Amino acid sequence: MKDLFASIYENLIYNQQYDLVFQHLYDSGGYVKLGLIFLIVPLLCWLAFYFLWRFPYGKWWHWLIWLFVAFFIVSGLTYGIANTEIFASNNTALNNAISDSSTGYDNFVSTLPFTYLLINGLLSILVGFVYSLIMKQFSKIQIHLPF
Amino acid sequence: MARKLYIFGIGGTGSRVLKALTMLFASGVKLGNDFDTVIPIIIDPDTSNGDLNRTKDILRLYQEIRNQIEQPDDFYSQEIKTINELSNNTQVVNPDYFQFKLKGTDSNTFNQYIGFDSLYEEVKEKDDKSFVRLLYSEKNLKSNLDVGFKGNPNMGSIVLNQFTNSDDFIKFGQTFNDGDAIFIINSIFGGTGAAGFPLLLKNLRGNDKLPKHAKIKDAPIAGITYLPYFSLTKQDEINAESFEEKAKIALDYYNRTIITQNQINTLYFIGNRGNTNHEEYAVGGQEQKNKAHFLELAGAMAILDFCKNINSLTNTTQIKEFGIENDTQNISFSDLNIENAKLLSGPLTKFKVYTEYLNKGLNKSLGVSRWTKSNIKLISNNKQSLLDKNYFNSAEYKTQVKAFNNYFDEWIKEMKENKPVFCPFEDITADNILEIVKGNIPKGNKNFQPIDVQNCLFTENVSIRSYEKKHTMLIKMFGKSTEKVLSQKNLIIR
Repeated sequence: MKDLFASIYENLIYNQQYDLVFQHLYDSGGYVKLGLIFLIVPLLCWLAFYFLWRFPYGKWWHWLIWLFVAFFIVSGLTYGIANTEIFASNNTALNNAISDSSTGYDNFVSTLPFTYLLINGLLSILVGFVYSLIMKQFSKIQIHLPF
Repeated sequence: MARKLYIFGIGGTGSRVLKALTMLFASGVKLGNDFDTVIPIIIDPDTSNGDLNRTKDILRLYQEIRNQIEQPDDFYSQEIKTINELSNNTQVVNPDYFQFKLKGTDSNTFNQYIGFDSLYEEVKEKDDKSFVRLLYSEKNLKSNLDVGFKGNPNMGSIVLNQFTNSDDFIKFGQTFNDGDAIFIINSIFGGTGAAGFPLLLKNLRGNDKLPKHAKIKDAPIAGITYLPYFSLTKQDEINAESFEEKAKIALDYYNRTIITQNQINTLYFIGNRGNTNHEEYAVGGQEQKNKAHFLELAGAMAILDFCKNINSLTNTTQIKEFGIENDTQNISFSDLNIENAKLLSGPLTKFKVYTEYLNKGLNKSLGVSRWTKSNIKLISNNKQSLLDKNYFNSAEYKTQVKAFNNYFDEWIKEMKENKPVFCPFEDITADNILEIVKGNIPKGNKNFQPIDVQNCLFTENVSIRSYEKKHTMLIKMFGKSTEKVLSQKNLIIR
């Protein structure tokens, strides 16, 4: 699972120059946490949407709102976790690199939580759409959403 | 063993009780004791009578709707057929066959009908004429028969005596089988019903020319006789002040010839003394369209009572009367005895919620809720609804379901406007439909949403789906969803 999630994130934003932070996220299980967020949060959101929400007048924009709700929850959690993993880690080497402004780490890692936020947010939309197509097959009330 | 119940509705009251019974059947009431088919037979010379034609139209719609439901198990579950359908084994709906034809009443006056005009004024026949004049007034003799007997049973007894020779009556005899039963509805204070009841009973028990007479003469027969229960807005040819006197005389006659002779198994009496409701005066024809009355609903319950107790009948005539628990002029379910309240509360409330939904709730869900959508993408056909916009715009929906529902709502409304008032329901809007039962306000959501939720849950239910019979899904779905919601909210008396 570690490798799977690492390959997703590192394919998108890996930078050899700042390997320390990516290695840290790999070793500390940060990738797994981030990956589970974009998988599990939309799963729970869409389960609630398709199986718990007993509102028979649902329209496509209700579905869209739900998509954004999942996006924002995933984004918020991702930002928080990425921040903690990077800036509150016990990894001395990483901490030293970040505190040494000549390494450029501080500038690079400061953008990482937001980058992961965007990646996870977009992934949550993609995954949520797939969940929707699967779950609507079994839903009794929201079977007609998104279309 | 499948049994049939033949119901003879005589005169305007007969038609109105049959209407009430049809409304109960539509709401899901069943006869029980294996009575799977009901054959209503209306006997009324007044072919243009408003009550008669309204009832025939209601029966037609009932049949048309029921024919489009696959194995109805709640609403419309009781089968209704005409004699013609039974004898010809056809499913063609023709409401004219609900009415027995009386020959010679269409354009004749009474004096033409009995041949009075053809008698000469010579000595010998003059005596005959004088004798007829003794029995019938000039007004009687000049009366047109196509508007009935205008409250004159002495005329009715002559004209109605011929209907037992009709083809319809012979077909009735031919279709009669072991286990079948007969119920007769009449009023005692008018013309057609008061005269027709003893005549019909006499023929059923004693006319050996009737096919299957041996079976018919020993068959269970019951009747309901209406004592005066309404008055008229003016006194003219029909004088409402004479209703009570006529009722007393006819009762005495019934007592001597029917009750003490044990000619009938059960005779139900119903009336409303000191009634204050006044119907628009009409001697007959299209103008005679009385408002529905609670006592007609009670009469329909007498038919259910008869079928329920059919296995415990004795050879001695049993007399039954109808009563309510509370002496009130404003009757609701809680004023009825518990057995009647249980019988009516569930079916009527469910059907009322269903008609109200289609009137006031459908706009919100049509094309939005999944139970009204048939074009959902990436979903198999067996999960698509059959009740889409096309269905609700179809001629069958508008001219059958909608038309019948309008009659039902009109029937409920008329009982509310009559005296005593029967009004178990509150006026509701789309926001408070579940406050519909008088004196019972449920907790939680009171709008149509719980009904729509249940409809969505039932959409994929195989037992309510049929591609061939168009109304199956609508009728069966609402039977189930209203049952579920009203039970959850404790709105049905159990």
